[in-house]
Amino acid sequence: MTEQGTEQDTKEQDQSRGMRLAYYPGCVSKSTGKEMDLSTRAVCSALDIALEELEDWNCCGATHVANDLISVGLAARNMAQTDLPIMTPCAICYSNLRSAARCMDEPTVRAKVNAALTKKYSGAQVKHVLDVVIDALSKDPDKVAVPLTGLKVAPYYGCLMTRPRGGIDSPEYPTILEKLIRYLKADPVNFRLKTFCCGGPIFTTEQQAAEDVAYQILSEAKKAGAEVIVTLCPLCHLMLDAKQKSLETKRGETFGIPVLYVTQLVGIALGLGPDELGLNMNSVSPVPIIDKVYESMT
Amino acid sequence: MAEIGKDKDAGFLKEVVRLAGPEVRTCIQCGTCSASCPTASLMDKKPRQIIKMVLECRKDEALSAKSPWFCTSCQACVVRCPRGINPRAVMSAVREICEHEGRVPKDLSYDEIFQRQVRENGRVSELQISGEYALANPKSTVQAMELGLEMVPRRKISLERVKVKRPEEIERIFEELGKA
Repeated sequence: MTEQGTEQDTKEQDQSRGMRLAYYPGCVSKSTGKEMDLSTRAVCSALDIALEELEDWNCCGATHVANDLISVGLAARNMAQTDLPIMTPCAICYSNLRSAARCMDEPTVRAKVNAALTKKYSGAQVKHVLDVVIDALSKDPDKVAVPLTGLKVAPYYGCLMTRPRGGIDSPEYPTILEKLIRYLKADPVNFRLKTFCCGGPIFTTEQQAAEDVAYQILSEAKKAGAEVIVTLCPLCHLMLDAKQKSLETKRGETFGIPVLYVTQLVGIALGLGPDELGLNMNSVSPVPIIDKVYESMT
Repeated sequence: MAEIGKDKDAGFLKEVVRLAGPEVRTCIQCGTCSASCPTASLMDKKPRQIIKMVLECRKDEALSAKSPWFCTSCQACVVRCPRGINPRAVMSAVREICEHEGRVPKDLSYDEIFQRQVRENGRVSELQISGEYALANPKSTVQAMELGLEMVPRRKISLERVKVKRPEEIERIFEELGKA
């Protein structure tokens, strides 16, 4: 597939308050990424963004569908279900939808794929929740009710948030997450491995290799002095949070670094409660950072 | 497929080009892909070497390499390749050819199980995938249970059966686009 064409912008929607978006939660929102889904819904509601879940969404294929045209077809079926901009909290779904939208700019690909679809694709605007949240906060910074003053946050983009090229930020040195962290009055640490892959896509099949990669990322976050790592992808979250304890045991090192979805971190700053954000679902307890944040307020 | 030497197979290059794009023919062997790859240090043959094998039609060597199974699809190579090649797609293509020819190094590949679930249900359930993979690859059971112990008490395992409302459309995507 060639890289021609730009991101679809044919369905530019009103960006002001009270906006409506189509919501594509992705498969993990029902299981290992439940807190991602919960916190996304809670944060959007607090920011006056109405989410309409796609009526019959399907899996994007993640990184496990080798045939690119089938991948495009799966993504296009989702995008064809709405005329609203589509938002997802998952960087993998986001990357797949974006790649597909770009491929569908080519008339031959679009014709082939549309022939297999019941509802035809005619263009789409794809957003990650990071996009939406940063936009809302830039317009209404007063929404930050609980400033995260002094909290040291490692901005972890992972691989697919900025890839393929042409999306939300540079694939080599993105800074948009740092911008959001500053909106929340927290301090982004200098995190060298911020776009390094977490190893997640191969953790079942090549456990050792995946753990080596995740270990490097956690070590780097610790070296950088991070008190919390913020993630944009459920697989990154799983590798760094759910597997952190087992990595500590295997490598004989202590990390104890909470890993929050970006919507959980934003939710804390908006003053939302732990249950609304699913904070009790994280493996490494985020209680110490919440204590710190509220202490600094008093 | 045409044999053009005792270990060369011209059809192999053609098939990779079909799956991964014609740009692969323009590779200058600069090694940027290998240098960018987060798992290259763990690979027997680096991405640059796999591409060289493809270009030289050394199918047997390419299909015997373990490296395509270490690719995480992170696309670091894709955004950096100075020739606009998609090395990630080359790795996927080699894996797909392995699957077609029954040369998957694992008893049953994870991608195969994942794709079958997407094809049948339109969505995936992590519990079902891990379960099926563990049955075929008993060595992975320990890791699956370790993760289960993290997820179950946090209610992050779903027993719900997932299925889209219009599975026939998903079947058409796999059937028609798979052979296009």
